[in-house]
Amino acid sequence: MNSNKKFTIMITGVITVVIFWIGWVSSNPKDEKAMATFVSVEKLLNDKINKRTKLGGLVKDGSIIISKTNYLDCSFVLKEGNTELTVKYDRTRPDLFKDGAEVIVTGQYLDGTFYADELQTKCASRYEGDLRDESNYKLTEIKT
Amino acid sequence: MNPVAGGVALNLAFGFSILSIITLLIFIRNGDMRLFLTGQRLSLGISFFVFLSTFILWYQLIISNFDIDYVARYTSLETPFIYKISALWAGQSGSLLFWLFILSIFATITVLQNQSKHHGLMPWVIISLAIIQLFFLVLTNFVTNPFMPTDADFVVKNGNGLNPLLQNITMAIHPPTLYLGYVGFSVPFAFAISALMNRDTSPLWIQSIRRWTLVAWLFLSSGIILGGWWAYQELGWGGYWAWDPVENASFMPWLTATAFLHSIIIQEKKDMLRLWNMALIILTFALCIFGTFLTRSGVMSSVHSFTASSLGPIFLTFVFLILIVSFTLMFLRRSDLRSEKRIESFTSRESGFLFNNLVFVVMCFAVFWGTLFPVISEAVRGTKITVGPPFFNQINVPIGLILLALTGVGPLLAWRNTSKQSLIKNFTVPILSGLVAAVIFMAIGFKGSVVISFSLSVFVLATISTEFMRGIKARTKTFNESIVKALITMISKNRSRYGGYIVHVGIVFMFVGFTGHAFDKEKEFSLKIGQTDHVAGYEFTLLKLSETERSNHYAWISDIRVTDNKGEFVTNLYPEKRIYFHKNPDVNRRQPHSELDIYSTLNQDIYSIFSAIDNDNGIAFLKIMVNPLVRWVWIGGYILVIGTMIALWPRKD
Repeated sequence: MNSNKKFTIMITGVITVVIFWIGWVSSNPKDEKAMATFVSVEKLLNDKINKRTKLGGLVKDGSIIISKTNYLDCSFVLKEGNTELTVKYDRTRPDLFKDGAEVIVTGQYLDGTFYADELQTKCASRYEGDLRDESNYKLTEIKT
Repeated sequence: MNPVAGGVALNLAFGFSILSIITLLIFIRNGDMRLFLTGQRLSLGISFFVFLSTFILWYQLIISNFDIDYVARYTSLETPFIYKISALWAGQSGSLLFWLFILSIFATITVLQNQSKHHGLMPWVIISLAIIQLFFLVLTNFVTNPFMPTDADFVVKNGNGLNPLLQNITMAIHPPTLYLGYVGFSVPFAFAISALMNRDTSPLWIQSIRRWTLVAWLFLSSGIILGGWWAYQELGWGGYWAWDPVENASFMPWLTATAFLHSIIIQEKKDMLRLWNMALIILTFALCIFGTFLTRSGVMSSVHSFTASSLGPIFLTFVFLILIVSFTLMFLRRSDLRSEKRIESFTSRESGFLFNNLVFVVMCFAVFWGTLFPVISEAVRGTKITVGPPFFNQINVPIGLILLALTGVGPLLAWRNTSKQSLIKNFTVPILSGLVAAVIFMAIGFKGSVVISFSLSVFVLATISTEFMRGIKARTKTFNESIVKALITMISKNRSRYGGYIVHVGIVFMFVGFTGHAFDKEKEFSLKIGQTDHVAGYEFTLLKLSETERSNHYAWISDIRVTDNKGEFVTNLYPEKRIYFHKNPDVNRRQPHSELDIYSTLNQDIYSIFSAIDNDNGIAFLKIMVNPLVRWVWIGGYILVIGTMIALWPRKD
């Protein structure tokens, strides 16, 4: 049937166009922030990647330095395995950001420092943590 | 009630599900009605024991029995009552039990509703539902049991407490709503499988599940909207949708389900698209399970990763099993699924629906592609590339606009074929309205997709009003009714149609809200008391900083006066910086939380976040956003809910 054929062509056409569209956007995103490569801190340091990247790791204990004049300005050391990297971030920090927090940062590496414009924290360990220390704290609190 | 009883009830439910499946399979072989009745009762038994164990867990949460690991992990003595209730879905094992609980409610309703109906379909419907129950029973019995005792060699005096982010009333409602949607699609899916098994793929099964599908769709839609609302109110990044993997996971089944809701109309009216509808509902259900998997597995880092777990492989296997079994079954029944009728013309209602379906599915694919892009890119190129909201927006904005246009075009097309005259007659006013609107919006200075979106919205609203007006006119003429009465009788005489149009109005409102996103402005700055800064034509003055201690947290409150560019007073904003568990001697265990303050009007929202406080110098660090038209999204959501309820409302006849 003629109309049936026409429909098949139309539908195939639509699907092809969309697949090309998705493929095109996937390789030429309009916004540079649309994509980031997820790499390990070690690889970033070895290859000195200066593209937009995403890193994951832990905030090194005691490494958070908040500027005395601008509380939004902060730097901290990101630890992934044994590799460390200083990260600078100058925007509102998520509430769960603290020593030992698991974070994901997105930004660019330049001369030994990672300039992040996105900082995400992963779930606070507190809620999946060991009941033992939690109960101990409560127990001591009850005593005093 | 002893917590052990909860575990036993789960064991019994597991046994009952196996017995029910076996009994019904034997019934299908030998046709002994007594076996059918037994199987049916056994299936009610599964649900009964699931209810029992859920209530026991709820009871343990309420009485704070910290001997149960789950209770100790997600509640504490200080947790308010409502959040003890909602703690049922705060963690993994509880939320799986909750899934099962809802499924059991639905299964019970399905069984009771169809006691004297659909005798051909019911055996397989019950078997399919029991198999899904069985899957979740295996999980809750053997993999992650909610009744596990606390693993501690001391008496646990108090539990961990619920994450403050989850202590929000919307968060108590959003997950169950979404779950009702996810789980709701089990019933249409079970009917689809049953239709395939029985080789009865006539529109009969479609009729029996239309209402179910609408109910599930309503819950899924409201669940998604509530989730956006929660993110907007609570998470403090100023948006309601971030294309986060878990958000996408709920959006994908929504897209295929919406396509399904449209295409079953064609099957009901024209008996076409049998194969397509079957594929859509299977896909929707598989995506619902996939959604639960994405939420619960922790494969994707997201705001929703409140739990990380090893459930991934089990869920993925289940999704693959669903797809393989269902599609094999479809393949075996392909000759039954062929419809003889063909679509006659491009300009027909059928063709409109077909293209709407195509676009929905294509959009679902686009979202799927983006969600799995990190996985795909790692497999293909070896580097894990993550994609963010700009990527999703770039791909989906054009597709969404095409959908919006189809929303306007579709309802004006006639079944089979629309004549040239009626095309001209139906479309002149809406197209003219759209064009006039486009000219006006361009004159105002809007550009690109914003103009297209706003003008299409006007166009769609014009087509819907034409439809309403035509119906009202016909009634006032024939029955001499008043306009209001004509409107009411017209809607109640044809609820699914006009309810559907009202849903479309809701969608248009939401599109208007989405478009407002193009004009979002934000600024981060610090203010000393008495100082002023400007954002988007508004002036923000910090009047004072105060602090207070409340029952479960400590709060710093900033008092900001907002005035517009003429110096007129707009509002006062009081964003807070809170510290939960502030009495904990270990500073690292205290939990900061930014409580936002939002001033919302139809035009725009002024959104304030108290980022940090410099106590010594009395400086507040603030993030202010001006987000136009956000309220339209929520209003659109309400309209969508009302429209769906109208379409659902039972007829009295």
